[in-house]
Formats: sequence, C-alpha cells, structure tokens
Amino acid sequence: MILSIEEISISSREKKIVDNVSLSIRNGEWYALVGQSGSGKSLLSQAIGQMLSPNLQVEGKILFKDKDLMSLSSKQMRTIRGRKLSYIFQDYQGSFTPFRTIGQHFEEYQRAHGILDRETRKTNSISALDSVGLDEDLYNRYPFQLSGGQLQRVSIALALLLSPDLLIADEITTALDSVSGHRILELLAKRQKETGCAILFITHDWRHVKRYATRLAVMKEGQIVESGGKHRILDHPQHEYTKQLIQAAPKLGRGLASGLQEAGTI
Amino acid sequence: MKGLSVRLEKKKKYRWQGVLALICVFFVFAVAIYTFFYLRHDPTLTNLNGRLQGVSLQHPLGTDQLGRDVLTRLLLGGQQTIGYSLMALSVALLIGIPFGLIAGFKRGLIDRIFMRIADGFLAFPDTIVAIVLSGILGPGIGNLVLAIVMVKWVSYARLVRSTVLSESQKDYVLIALTNGLSMSKIMKRHLFPHIVGHVLVLASLDLGKIILLISAFSYIGLGTQPPNPEWGAMLNDSRPYFQSRPELMIYPGLAIVAVVLLTNMLGDYLRDRFDVKKEVQQ
Repeated sequence: MILSIEEISISSREKKIVDNVSLSIRNGEWYALVGQSGSGKSLLSQAIGQMLSPNLQVEGKILFKDKDLMSLSSKQMRTIRGRKLSYIFQDYQGSFTPFRTIGQHFEEYQRAHGILDRETRKTNSISALDSVGLDEDLYNRYPFQLSGGQLQRVSIALALLLSPDLLIADEITTALDSVSGHRILELLAKRQKETGCAILFITHDWRHVKRYATRLAVMKEGQIVESGGKHRILDHPQHEYTKQLIQAAPKLGRGLASGLQEAGTI
Repeated sequence: MKGLSVRLEKKKKYRWQGVLALICVFFVFAVAIYTFFYLRHDPTLTNLNGRLQGVSLQHPLGTDQLGRDVLTRLLLGGQQTIGYSLMALSVALLIGIPFGLIAGFKRGLIDRIFMRIADGFLAFPDTIVAIVLSGILGPGIGNLVLAIVMVKWVSYARLVRSTVLSESQKDYVLIALTNGLSMSKIMKRHLFPHIVGHVLVLASLDLGKIILLISAFSYIGLGTQPPNPEWGAMLNDSRPYFQSRPELMIYPGLAIVAVVLLTNMLGDYLRDRFDVKKEVQQ
C-alpha cells in the first residue's frame, strides 16, 4: 500500500462535502476515481497533499507510506509534496505562472528540493522534456506560447521530475480535445511503466477507466458507493448508481473509434 | 526581479515614448535635486527695486512681482511639488500595499474588517478631506500631504487585495504549493511580480494627479505657504500681473503640464512593459 485513506471527512462550515471515505492505492497501480462533478473527488485528492483552504475541516487518517500525513508539520509536508507526491491539474493554462518561462518553473522546483548544482538542474529539465517528447527549445518559452497539449506534457514532465511515488492526476484530459487527451494518457501510461509510480486518476470518462485503470472507486455525493477491480465493476456493477453511469457512458466497439455513433445510425 | 519582464525588441512603436518619458522624468528629478545643493539666488529674497524684470543674464527668466528670481523659484518649486507628491505617494504605498496583502491572504474576518476600514476612507473625496483637514489643522503642505495619503492609500490596498485574491485562486499557486514551495516563496516569486506591475502603473498615473492636486491646493492657498515657492502658488501670485507679464503664469503652468504629461506617459509605458503576454505575441 502506497496510500491508504481511512475514514476521511471534509466539511465546510455549512455541510459535509466528503463523508467518511476510505480507499487504498497499491504500489505502481493506476487507480481511477470516478464520479460526476461536485462529488468531492478533487477535494479528496487535495486533502491528501493538505492543500485545502483553512476554512475546510479534515478529519480522519491519510497514511502515505505508513506515515500519517495529517500529523506532519507543514515543513515536513513540504518535503513530501513534489518529491514523493505530485499533482497534475485540469487547467493547463493556469498551471504555470504566466510571467515565468518553462525553464524557470523547472529551475525553481528543483531548487526547492535541494538540487543545488545548476548544470544538474538543467540536464534534468532537458531530459524530462525529452521524456515527454518535447523539444528543448521550449525551455526558454513562456507558458502562453505553448499549445494545451504541450503544456499538459510539460505538467507531466514537471510532476514526474523527481520520481514521486504517487501522482495525482485531476481530470487532466478534460480541457483537451480527444486526440490530444488520448496522446497525453498514452504518454502518462508509458511514463508510469518507466518510473513505476502509482497514479490516482480522477476522471468522469469511462473510456479512460476501461483502457488504463487497474482498480477503481465510484464516488457520489461525497461517498464512495463502490470500489474494486476494474473488471469486477465494469462487468458486474453492484450499485444502482454505477450501473447508471456505465449505461450513460458512450459505448466502445460499435460506431467510430472515438466511441461516438456515426450520425444517422441510431 | 530578473523574470519580471522581457526585452522590448518588438515594441518599437511605443518604446521611444517610454524612454523619452523616463529620461525627462529623471532629468526633472535631477534638476530638482541639483537645485537643492546649488542656488544662484535666494528664492525668498525680495528686491523691490528689481520687480517684474524681463529676461537678463542675471535672471534668465526675469523676476516676479517682489523682485525674486523666477528660474530659481521655478526649480525650487518643482523640487517642492515633486518632492511632496513623491512623499505622499510613497507613504500611501507603504500603508496600502501591506494592508492589501494582509487582507488578501488572510481573508475571512480580517479581510472584512480591513476592507470596511478602507471603504470608510474611500467615502471621502480627496478635495473635501484636504479642505476639512486644513480647516481643522490649519493650511500647510504637511496637512495637504496627510489628506492625500488618507485618500490615496485605499486604492492601493484595494488593488493589491484584489490582485492577491484573484491570482491566489489560480492553479499555478496550487501547483507551486504541490511542488513543495513555501508560502513566502510563492508570495515573493509568483504573486509579488503581478502586484508590482499593477501598483507601479497605478502609482505613476497617480503621481500626475497628486502633483495637480498639490498645485491646485497651493493655488487656492491651502498648500504651500508663502514665501515658499510652489508651482500652484506661483500661478496664484502672478495672477494680478497677467496682463502685463503673462509669462509669469505661463512658466509654472507649463512646468505642471509637462511634469503631469511625463508621468502619464511613464505610466502608459510601464503598463505596456509589464504586459508580458502582449509583448511577446506582437
């Protein structure tokens, strides 16, 4: 177990947003967390890195490599964030500070984790860019000069730079077109094989779950309604909500490769 | 601050303006400072035998109605006007920026309290505050500066707060946090440059307004007190002699126009300069 969340509840002053959720992620697996918008998936993922705003109350236990993250000081937490645990978000445009170049992002990130040699930092960055199929020219570009797909690739490179044990990918393809999204996921899967990190993959797209996940959990209104192996859930969904979700998802196999029916066939 | 802005190679169109404004503003400052150390004439020395003289070698711009050297008074007046404006501006910045930063970062109750205080100050227009203050404390440049500070700091506090609020919502702050950066580093490297850009632009535009305000109040006698030279006061002093010696009003008037125009040009230039995105795309 790389991460086990035990009975986590997140509540604001008015109401409970995440209610008594437990889940565990094994080493090197692709764990999908599925649910509609507003079900509390993102909050849960941010609670792992303790990045929620202070007006949200978190209760429960988050064991990351057998250490309870809730009991760590903010300084200890900082050494875990980025080094052992990293994030990729949906909004690729907002993920980069607009007035700093891609290279400056890489620089700062490595300096914050104690890599002091300038040459090492530079070679690390270039090889990270290379590993996601990007040219080293991008090093001196500004974020807005890159396309969405390129930016999301840079996010992956940045997130995997210090070989974390767990990568949290929060709807990373939602803002991309389906071709770029597909490429990004293929790349992520390839990088996962190479680095062996576990991925907590937050999504609402069943096609991605079918293709990549090893295990998954379905979330509804702050609670996990069902969890288990991919095939068990996809083939024999127990909960009514899961059945509905699977039925609502676009079918693969028939129609176009994108999962959509060809016009006029229905 | 290396990462603040990019080179201005593709922005030739506005570049000369900004450079010109910068040079002129520095020139004006240099002259104002220089006057401080070197004065050919006593600016307050009256010489009733030499009133209202024309241009001469000894008095390059002539003398005024009390026989004082106009050039000396003009330069010293510039020093006063610009100096007090800068003082008012920097005090407003010193109060406004930390106020806005704290409100923006702490949010919640502190934010609400701070902003209601700011709103309270904002309720008074600057002219009213200045007049009321000089009514209570007596006319004088010090009270005028106080009045300007009281009104101007609010806009900086609000600007800084809103910038901090909107920027800290963005994912890059979250990403910086997930990358293991400390909050103070994020503030310094990712948020502060945003704030500096906005604040500098507003400040340079405000400088012109403050200069105008100080001159205007000195003109009606609520600012600098005679015999100290000040552009607005000089305008007022030479009003009775407008028909015979109009240049006595034209000199300080032109000086005010020039300096205000320059600070505005500087503000425009800074605004373009801090807009990294627009710059690279062009």
